[in-house]
Amino acid sequence: MTQPTTIRTADAAVVGAGPAGLAAALELGLAGLRVLLLDEQSAPGGQYYRSPGPEAVREVGDHRPAGARLIARVRACGVRVLSGHTVWGVEDDRRGLLAAGPDGDPVIVRADRIVVATGAYERSVPFPGWQLPGVVTPGLAQHMCAEGVRLGRSAVVAGSGPFLLPVACALLERGVRVLAVAEAGRPYTPRPAALGALRFPARLVELASYTARLARHGVRLHQDTVVAEASGRERVREVTLVRRSDPRRVVGRHGADVLCVGYGFRPQSDLAQLLGCDMGRDPATGDPVPLLGAAGRSSVPWVHVVGEAAGVAGAPTALLRGRAAAFDILAARGRTVGRRSRRAVTARLASLARFNGLTSRLYPDPARLTAELAAGLPGDTLVCRCEGVTADTLRSAACLPGGSDVPALKGSTRAGMGPCQSRECGPALDALRGRGTGAGAVPARVPLRPVPLSTVLHLRAFGEET
Amino acid sequence: MTGFDAVVIGAGVLGAATALDLAESGLSVLVLERGAPNREGSGTTAGNLHIQAVHTRRPGQAVPLDSQALLPAQKASGQLWAEAEERLDADLEVRRNGGFMVAETPGQCAELRTKHLWEEQSGLRTEVLDGDAAREALPLLGPTVEAATWCSDDGYANPLKVAPAYLAAARRNAAQVRAFTPVTGLQRRGARWRVETPAGHYDTPVVINVAGPWIGDVCAMAGLRLRMSPVAIQMHATVRERPLLHHLVQHIGEGMSVKQVTSGNLLIGGGWPARRMEQEGRSHASSRSLTGNVAQAARILPVLSGLRLLRMWAGPLAATPDEMPLIGAVPGAPGFYVAGGTYAFTFAPLWGETLGRLIREEQPRVDVSPFSPDRLTETGRASLTPTRKGVTPC
Ligand SMILES: Cc1cc2nc3c(=O)[nH]c(=O)nc-3n(C[C@H](O)[C@H](O)[C@H](O)COP(=O)(O)OP(=O)(O)OC[C@H]3O[C@@H](n4cnc5c(N)ncnc54)[C@H](O)[C@@H]3O)c2cc1C
Ligand SMILES: Cc1cc2nc3c(=O)[nH]c(=O)nc-3n(C[C@H](O)[C@H](O)[C@H](O)COP(=O)(O)OP(=O)(O)OC[C@H]3O[C@@H](n4cnc5c(N)ncnc54)[C@H](O)[C@@H]3O)c2cc1C
Repeated sequence: MTQPTTIRTADAAVVGAGPAGLAAALELGLAGLRVLLLDEQSAPGGQYYRSPGPEAVREVGDHRPAGARLIARVRACGVRVLSGHTVWGVEDDRRGLLAAGPDGDPVIVRADRIVVATGAYERSVPFPGWQLPGVVTPGLAQHMCAEGVRLGRSAVVAGSGPFLLPVACALLERGVRVLAVAEAGRPYTPRPAALGALRFPARLVELASYTARLARHGVRLHQDTVVAEASGRERVREVTLVRRSDPRRVVGRHGADVLCVGYGFRPQSDLAQLLGCDMGRDPATGDPVPLLGAAGRSSVPWVHVVGEAAGVAGAPTALLRGRAAAFDILAARGRTVGRRSRRAVTARLASLARFNGLTSRLYPDPARLTAELAAGLPGDTLVCRCEGVTADTLRSAACLPGGSDVPALKGSTRAGMGPCQSRECGPALDALRGRGTGAGAVPARVPLRPVPLSTVLHLRAFGEET
Repeated sequence: MTGFDAVVIGAGVLGAATALDLAESGLSVLVLERGAPNREGSGTTAGNLHIQAVHTRRPGQAVPLDSQALLPAQKASGQLWAEAEERLDADLEVRRNGGFMVAETPGQCAELRTKHLWEEQSGLRTEVLDGDAAREALPLLGPTVEAATWCSDDGYANPLKVAPAYLAAARRNAAQVRAFTPVTGLQRRGARWRVETPAGHYDTPVVINVAGPWIGDVCAMAGLRLRMSPVAIQMHATVRERPLLHHLVQHIGEGMSVKQVTSGNLLIGGGWPARRMEQEGRSHASSRSLTGNVAQAARILPVLSGLRLLRMWAGPLAATPDEMPLIGAVPGAPGFYVAGGTYAFTFAPLWGETLGRLIREEQPRVDVSPFSPDRLTETGRASLTPTRKGVTPC
C-alpha cells in the first residue's frame, strides 16, 4: 500500500540527474539554495554517467569515473537527491510537480524554480523485424555492456550517428563478435565539410581510436548502408543490409543474434510542454523542442530547460547548459556569480555548438532520413509495435481527410496509443502522415509514464486537507 | 464546384451522421472541418451508449437536466445503434452488454426508483437492484453501493471508429469532406447562404451548424445569437488489462462512468471538469479533477486502485444553459439548422436522421420540438421552459 502524499518545498527543483541536471544542481547547491534533484532511475547519473552496479564496477570497472565524482560533490553540497522518483504530471497551476516515489508513494514538489533536465529518447525508425527479441538500441546495448552483460554471440550495429562506433567497441569488449557496422550516411569519407573538425583535435583522436579498434578486429564499416530486414522466429537470426542509395543492392546478410540499431536521440521535452513552455520544431530532426532564450530560459518565467531536453548536443554541452541555467537563476535571485565563470561557460558552449554543427552536417538529417526510410517500408511492416499497426494501414489513413495530422492518424489507427505513447514510432508517424496542414507530433499528456491509480488516490487525500 | 445542396459545418459525429443521411437522400453535401475530423468532442468522448435514463447532474453542473424528457430519444437511439454497424458496413466495436447505474445515498436510491418508473412508462426495460443484489450481479461493486438499476441495452461504441465510418459512408455517397478548412463567415444572399472559408466560398440553401462547442461562434458569423455554455471534461484510461468488467457502470449522482473497452483498457469518465474550455486550441485535463474522478470511480469499483493510469485527456462539450440537447431550425434564419448538446454521441444516429428529415420536411422519428434552439435565442428567452422538478439531486 502506498503512503499519504509527501509535500516537499525547495528553492529549486531539478528533474533529471544526468550531466545537465547534476551540473545545475551542483551550482545551485553550492550557492546555498535548497535544491531537490529528482530522477526516475535508481541512481543518479543519467545516460552518460549511469553508474554500473557495484559488481560490474568490481569486474569491469567504471568507464566514467568523472560521473561518480560529480555525484559525490552534488550530494556533499546539500542537494537532496531523490532517486527512483518519476515526475508524471504537474499541478493545475503548472508549478507543482507530481511524482511517484520508489513504491509508488505520491510526492508533490513545489519549488520557486524548475529546471527540466530530462534528457533524450533514442530515435528509432521501424523496419521489418524490429519487434524481434535481440533488436536493441545503442543506448541499451551500451548500458548492458557497462554492466558486464554479453548480449549475444554476434552482432550487427546499424543506424546513423557518431555513437555507433563506441557501442560497437563496447560490444567487442564484452566478447560479442561484431559482424558489421552500417552507417546510413557517408560521414567517414573525407569531404570539405569535415575539414572544420580539424579544429577539434581531441574529438578526432577519439573517433580515430574507435575506427582503429574496429579495424583491428576486422569489423567492416559500411557507409550508405541501412537495415532492410531482421528475420528469425523467436529471436533475430539474420540481418539484411542494403545500400541506402539503392535499396535493391544487398550489402550483406549476416547471421547475427543481436541487432543494435539507432538513429540518434530526440529531446524528451514533454515535461517542459506540460509546464506550459512554448514549443517549436527542430527543422533538422522534426522533433518538438522548447523555444528557449539565453541560458535555457523558457517562455514560463520559473522554468529553465537544459541538457538534451533543450536539443540534442552531447554530454559536454549538457553539463555546460546545466551550469549556465544555474548561474542565470542565481543572478535573478541577486546572487553575484563570477563574471569570469559565466563568460567561460558561454564561450565553451559556443565552441561546442560550432563543433556540433560540423558533426551534424556529416550525418544525414534525421527528419529526412526517417522520411526516406519510412517511405520505403514494405506495407506489412509494423510501425507501431505496441498496437500492431502496419505501414499500409497508416498509408491509407494518411489519404483520408485530416490524414496530414499525427494526432488524427493516431486516432484513426491507434498507432502510438500503447504503453510507449508514440515515443518509439513518433518520428515514423510524422514521416508517414499525409502532406498538408497538421501537427507532426502528439501533444504531451499526463501521466508522462503510467502511474499506479493508488498513487493518484493518495493525492486525493492531500487535496481534501487543504 | 462552389454550390452545394447542403453545407455541414463540423466533422464530429453529428456532422458525419448528418452528411450521410443527406448524401444518401441524393443531396450534394459538403462537410467543412476546421481541423482534422473527429478530434474534438466526438474523438475524445467516453463513447457510452446511454439508453437508461441518465444522471441529472455532475459536480459543477449549474442546473439538473430533465432526464425524463430524453427517454424517447434514448429509446429510439438504442434501436438505431443496433443497426449502425450493418448500415455503415463497418466494425464500430459496438458492445451492448448492459449497464448498471449505482446509487450510494437514500436520496440517490429514491432517484433510481423514480427514474425506473419513467423508464417503464417509456417502454424501456430496467430493473432496480438493492446493494447486495447489485454486488451479486457485479461482484466488483464496492460496499458503498446501496442500489443500482440495470439496463441490458446500455453499452458503448468506439468513438475513434464511429465518426470516421459515417464520414466514409457519406463519401461513398459522394459527399465531399474538407479538413483544415474553417468556416470564417456566413452571409445571407437571397435564398442562399454564402459560406466563407480561407480556401474560397460555397453557396447553399441549407447550412447545418454542428460545430460542437463552437456552435455559438458559428451562429454569430450569421448574426445569430444562441446562448451556449461550452465546457471541457476529461477522460482517463488505464493500461490494458485482462477482461475484468463487461458492463458499463455509471453513478446517478456523480457523472461517473467506467467500462473496459475492446482493446482492454479501462476508461474512466468523471464529472469533474477539465482545466478550462479553450475556445482556441485544445483544452487540458486537470490533475485536481483526475484525483476527484479516480476517487469516485475507485469507491464504486475498488478493483481500479490496483490498476495503472496510462493517459488522460480533455474533450470539449457543447453544453446548453439548461443542459439539454439542441436540434432544429434556428428561428429567423431560413435553412439554418443546429444540433448539439448533451449526449450527442448516443444521439448521433438519431440526430443525423432527424436533421435530414427536418430538412426534407418529413416527420422525425421522435418529437424534437422540446429541444428546439428557440429556447436559446434572444427572442425565445421568455418562453424558455423551466426544467422539470421531478428529479432533484441531493
Ligand atoms: C549509447 C550512448 C552513447 C553516448 N556516447 C556519448 C559520447 O561518447 N559523448 C557524448 O558527449 N555524449 C554521448 N552520449 C550522449 C549523452 O549520454 C547525453 O548527451 C547526456 O547524457 C545528456 O545529458 P542530460 O543530462 O541532458 O540527460 P540524461 O543523461 O539523459 O539524463 C536525463 C535523466 O532524466 C531522467 N528523467 C527523464 N524524465 C524524467 C521524469 N519524468 N521524471 C524523473 N526523471 C526523469 C532520466 O531517467 C535520466 O536519468 C551517449 C548516449 C548514449 C545513449
Ligand atoms: C470527455 C467527454 C465524454 C463524453 N461522454 C459521452 C458519452 O459517454 N456518451 C454520449 O452520448 N456523449 C458523451 N459526450 C458528448 C458527446 O461525445 C459529444 O457531445 C459529441 O461527440 C459531440 O459531437 P459533435 O459532432 O456535436 O461535436 P464535435 O465532435 O465537437 O465536432 C464539432 C466539430 O466542429 C468543428 N468546428 C468548429 N468550428 C468550426 C468552424 N468554424 N468551421 C469548421 N469546423 C468547425 C470542430 O473542429 C469539431 O471537429 C462526451 C463528451 C466529452 C467531451
